[in-house]
Amino acid sequence: MSKSRNETKYWKNLKEYYNDPDVFEEKINEFKDGVTDDFETSHLSSISRRKFLTLMAASAAFSATACTDYRDKGEIVPYTRRPEDLVPGIANYYATSLDGYTGNGVLVKTREGRPIKIDGNPEHPINKGKIDAAQQASILNLYDPDRLGEPQQNKKQISWNKAINSISGELKKAAEQNKKIALISNRITSPTTNSLIEKLKEKYSNIEVYSYELFDDTSKRNAWNKSYSGSLIPSVKLNEAEIILSIGNDFLAKDGNVVENIKQFSSRKEFVKEVNSNRLYVVESELSLTGSNADYRFPLKNSDQKKFLLTLLNGLVSKDAGLGSQFPIGFKTLIAKHDFAALSNIDKKNFDQLVNDLLENTGKSILVVDERASEEIQILSHLVNEILNNNDLLCFSKAFVDYNSLSNSDELKNLVNELNSGNISVIINLDSNPVYHLSYIDGFAEAFNKTAAKISLSQFENETTALSNYVIPINNPLESWGDFYVRKNVYTLQQPIIAPLRSTIQKETFLLSLLNEKLSSDSEILPLVKENFKKLVYEKNGAIVSFDNYWNNSLHDGFAVIKIEEEAKADFNYAVLENISFGKSAGGLTLLLKPNHFIGDSRFANNGWLQEIPHPVSKVAWDNYAAVSPNTADKYQLVNNDVVEIKSGAKAVKIPILVQPGTTDDTFVVELGYGRTNSGDVVKDVGFNLNNMISLDSDSPYSISGISVSKTGETYELVSTQEHHAVDDSKLKDIHLSRGIIREGTITEYKKNPDFVHEHDHPIFSITDEHEYKDHKWAMAIDLNKCIGCSYCVASCNVENNIPVVGKDQVGVGREMHWMRIDRYYSGSPDNPEVSTQPMICQHCDNAPCENVCPVNATNHSPDGLNQMAYNRCVGTRYCANNCPYKVRRFNFFDFRDNFADAFYENDSTALVHNPEVTVRSRGVMEKCTFCIQRIMDARSKAIAEGREVAANEIKTACQQSCPADAIVFGDSNNKESEVNVFREHKLGYHVLEEINVKPNVTYIAKLRNTESEDV
Amino acid sequence: MSSVDYTKEYSVVEGSPRLSEIEDIIIRPLNVKPDKKFYMAISVTLTMLLIGVISLGVSFYYGTGMWGNNNPVGWGFPIVNFVFWVGIGHAGTLISAILFLFRQKWRNGIARFAEGMTIFAVMTAGIFPLIHVGRPWLAGYLFPYPNQHSLWVNFTSPLLWDVFAVSTYFTVSFIFWYVGLIPDFATMRDKTTNALKKVIYSVFSLGWRHSNRHWQNYEMVYLILAGFATPLVLSVHTIVSFDFAVSVLPGWHTTIFPPYFVAGAVFSGFAMVQNVLIFIRKIFDMEHIITLDTLEKMNKIMMLTGMLVGYAYAMEFFIAWYGGVEAEQFAFVNRAFGPYAWAYWIMVSCNVLSPQLFWFKKVRRTIPAMFAIAVFINVGMWFERFVITVTSLSRDFLPSSWGYYSPTLVDFGILIGSFGMFFTLLLLFTKTLPVVSIAEVKAVVDGAQPTHGDH
Repeated sequence: MSKSRNETKYWKNLKEYYNDPDVFEEKINEFKDGVTDDFETSHLSSISRRKFLTLMAASAAFSATACTDYRDKGEIVPYTRRPEDLVPGIANYYATSLDGYTGNGVLVKTREGRPIKIDGNPEHPINKGKIDAAQQASILNLYDPDRLGEPQQNKKQISWNKAINSISGELKKAAEQNKKIALISNRITSPTTNSLIEKLKEKYSNIEVYSYELFDDTSKRNAWNKSYSGSLIPSVKLNEAEIILSIGNDFLAKDGNVVENIKQFSSRKEFVKEVNSNRLYVVESELSLTGSNADYRFPLKNSDQKKFLLTLLNGLVSKDAGLGSQFPIGFKTLIAKHDFAALSNIDKKNFDQLVNDLLENTGKSILVVDERASEEIQILSHLVNEILNNNDLLCFSKAFVDYNSLSNSDELKNLVNELNSGNISVIINLDSNPVYHLSYIDGFAEAFNKTAAKISLSQFENETTALSNYVIPINNPLESWGDFYVRKNVYTLQQPIIAPLRSTIQKETFLLSLLNEKLSSDSEILPLVKENFKKLVYEKNGAIVSFDNYWNNSLHDGFAVIKIEEEAKADFNYAVLENISFGKSAGGLTLLLKPNHFIGDSRFANNGWLQEIPHPVSKVAWDNYAAVSPNTADKYQLVNNDVVEIKSGAKAVKIPILVQPGTTDDTFVVELGYGRTNSGDVVKDVGFNLNNMISLDSDSPYSISGISVSKTGETYELVSTQEHHAVDDSKLKDIHLSRGIIREGTITEYKKNPDFVHEHDHPIFSITDEHEYKDHKWAMAIDLNKCIGCSYCVASCNVENNIPVVGKDQVGVGREMHWMRIDRYYSGSPDNPEVSTQPMICQHCDNAPCENVCPVNATNHSPDGLNQMAYNRCVGTRYCANNCPYKVRRFNFFDFRDNFADAFYENDSTALVHNPEVTVRSRGVMEKCTFCIQRIMDARSKAIAEGREVAANEIKTACQQSCPADAIVFGDSNNKESEVNVFREHKLGYHVLEEINVKPNVTYIAKLRNTESEDV
Repeated sequence: MSSVDYTKEYSVVEGSPRLSEIEDIIIRPLNVKPDKKFYMAISVTLTMLLIGVISLGVSFYYGTGMWGNNNPVGWGFPIVNFVFWVGIGHAGTLISAILFLFRQKWRNGIARFAEGMTIFAVMTAGIFPLIHVGRPWLAGYLFPYPNQHSLWVNFTSPLLWDVFAVSTYFTVSFIFWYVGLIPDFATMRDKTTNALKKVIYSVFSLGWRHSNRHWQNYEMVYLILAGFATPLVLSVHTIVSFDFAVSVLPGWHTTIFPPYFVAGAVFSGFAMVQNVLIFIRKIFDMEHIITLDTLEKMNKIMMLTGMLVGYAYAMEFFIAWYGGVEAEQFAFVNRAFGPYAWAYWIMVSCNVLSPQLFWFKKVRRTIPAMFAIAVFINVGMWFERFVITVTSLSRDFLPSSWGYYSPTLVDFGILIGSFGMFFTLLLLFTKTLPVVSIAEVKAVVDGAQPTHGDH
């Protein structure tokens, strides 16, 4: 071997074995030149490992998310510092008030700061925990997507500062040019608003205030002034009246404080605990809700009201001459000329009985007349009450405060002239809608449009904002401070429940801003409210506590009672009777204009919930119509949906016909508040506007005689939630009575035979053992004597249970979603039918026929007797609805959240109206009344937390809570102390369709009419 | 007047064809290319099917609200169509199983086709319970399957019984049909020259070699399946009728429904089979296999079942009156004189009056007349289901919740689609499988059976 052997034992290659010097060198320099020198990041590929992984992860995440339908549901932010008194999941309640018409107090339920339900304030002395449908549903207005959100000048958004500055400029300009400023509004009952207007008047002496109401009650106030000079119109203690005679006064639905009236009226329809009933006589032209509840109803044309009153006086005086002792001679001879024979269509026997009843119940009866009747009629009604000593039933301490009398027609016409002549250069519309309402004042819209500066305050777009150059969006009542002084002894307070959802201010802030000539904030109104409160309540009451204390308590309560001394009533002024003229009847056709039930003077028109509650009598939803009697319809060959043209002088309107049994012949009855041209999405193409037919000059502005009617040949589809059956179809006549759905009798019959309701019952037995309910068993009872059919419960149920609005087209095909409906049945003759109403909800049958047919067990029975729906399990076979004898199940034929009016419900704000306790149902799912299970569960968890049983009458369902008549009772029928048990075991209690042995759990108390004869 | 001697048994196949002739006639449609007429026919049925598919798509996208269904009337066209098609599906199994057990030889010429119609009709019907639900994507809930919620279906619901009854009926009918096809597959396998067809027929003929042993086993299986299918013929429509009879609704809650529904189903099934066969025998030159005598016999069955149905109509009225339940009485008076009186009288005139013409022999044996009457019967039977479903629902117990049901275009689209599906399947059937059973017809031609001759 030429090369020396390696000493080492291990070798890696031959070079090493032979000790090649290269290997040696390599071994010394472990890192060769260039291996380390080159290591510079800049020389490396720009994609580093980290960057590569980052990109990989990002693209994986990106592709993963891009393939899902993940939707950003917005940020969910937990409370880092929990607001005081707010526990997530627990509702808070605040007392406030929503309107200046009734001054009723409300209690607003909020969840996590969000108002979700409005109920009556139980402590409020006037409405006592109840409010009407419009106020309950008005929670939707707060979240309405159509609300105006920014101030506008000539339809362009401007800033608040600019708006206030330029409007202040307009006012100053008007003052400089010696022009007048008109401020137009509805009746103002807020002392704070009033004081601000007064202050503004001081600043700008050229301001003139005009106020109007669509339904003007000036004649009523004037008449009272003439009869009993000076004093305020008292309220009536209906609950103390044995006999109530209403002549065209729809006090149970439209006139006066309806909630208060219903509560008082129904408190005297008591048959369960004792027999205590008033008797209601109604004389009316249209079939109203009040007329539906009458014990005796006389159909009488509106134009004959005076004749009827004079005949009644004649009847009274001829029976008891002493009554007429103070009548002026001329009046005595006048009434003597009115004999009964002149009243057609009125049953002599019943009329005589009315006279006797009034005479026998002097001091305990009351006559109420049409709120909008002429002064003469009002005065005559005062006279009847006066001679019968019925004034004992008038309540002066709760009299209606008249803060600002309304402008009369001359003043309003003058306004038009002044606008036309340019004397008025600025018109401020303070949250009213004169262009729509005052269309009966000739040329109002044109005159309004001519004015240089038109400023409109409104929550929504309307006919007036459309013509205005400045539109000022204002707060919802739930976002505002305020006060209402409507009744003499009650001062109602309003507090904001939520901060304004949009960029709005309250209308008082606007007035204050004009006063300060710079933008003020809503919080500046609070001191003003307090100031007025101090002056009008605190100081008057002479309270001994500190003002702050008193204020805080009153704000908490939502109202304060003002101490007043009972004011002695003035004497009746018999001299006014001398001017009363003979009661003539007007021939020909009459157009009778009436308020509607739910949407007010159209201010609630954009509220789908309210539009969809069917008319309590006709059951038509989403429209108004001209109601005519079957005879008149025959005479003019009209059928439902025919469009007629009604002409009065130069004015003409078109409206569809509805044949309404009970209407007097030759009368066309139309409810106002419909036919809006500029408003939100909901109210587009809803109904017909007949405001221009009002004739404020005449004696009877809302009852227009001498109209002519012609058939146009067009038709317009009216939709109703009940099929219109001909009342005289022999197959269908009185079917509700023959089937025992409605069981009725008279008090006489009941006294004679207390079991008459159950006379035709058959013994019912089951071939299987009945299921036992050991613990609680929930049940409901509805007293049909108290229920007047007002439908406020429907509104309450809608809000509580997230009932969707489905729209007119879907109501038309019978797909309304109401869990609660008020069934209305006619019996008797179509000229003057008997009306029976019956609230119908899921009966939670023990042997529920819906349960056994569901193939997937989606509807089943709870151990406490509830018929339950598991929405998630429901596949929507609709078999349960088919097999429900009461047809109370409602199917989601569409996703009604996006089906109605371009996904009205799916915008961000409307979704907030939902009650978080109740599932929002999806398409293809069946639903129905749950007996407000969320409230049962709430009471249960409270009881568990407090370590006790749920009390017998602790739970109130939404319908029960809102029922102004207290007709609904709910409770545990296994608990002997519960009120519902008294009803279930009462002799008047019956179940609808009990013969099919489904064992329903809603007991109805049979209606007893207070008539003399036994037959209804 | 032609005289038929009813004391003598005539051959059910006319003209004493040779066995190979029978094979040729029956197999020929499978070997020739479809002609123009076929393409025209299938384009019509496919268009109808497409209309149905579009209507269904619209319904799935927007919801059941696209139909006329409303609050009192929860069930409309889809359920009417379901009952109608299940009814159509009744004739096939009745002809192939029940008439087989009764040794009615004349059924051999029509059994295969009638059975095919049964399968297609049940397939068509089976779609409706699934699509008529509000959330069709959850229709799987209707089947009992183990799940982590231990959530079970409701065994007391007639709708669930329907699921079982219809799926059982379909399965058994299908197996029965297939078993009957095995010898024919073998025959076709033996005759075909096409390599691909040979493979397919070989697979489906399950190695059939026409051996004596095969025949023996075959006859036994066929007999057992016939026995098994027979009660199903009666049970399916009985259970479908339970959908109505088990409810509390006046007009639905009647004990006569099971036999009445079965009679109605046989009635409409025969009418549909007769209608289609009239075309088949003409187009495929099978007039001597599906003879006028066979058609006459079918007409007689229609007349019988028509009268059964008429009796049921009358009995419903009688019991409503006799039972004295006011709501029930009203339901029937309302059917005849209420807002749906037009539908009721269409039903009565089509179902009760028109089959009475079959009393005349001339009518029974005249093709256009019997065809027209059978069409009327099918219209009438569709209306019968409409009357039962819709009128009862539209006016039930509480007059306040009554409502009128009017179908929408989508409803009609789905109805048209169901006919499209049925006839498309039928047309494809005529080009893929022997429409008449080769083996069974061979068994009934003259001389096929051992006789005593003149001895």
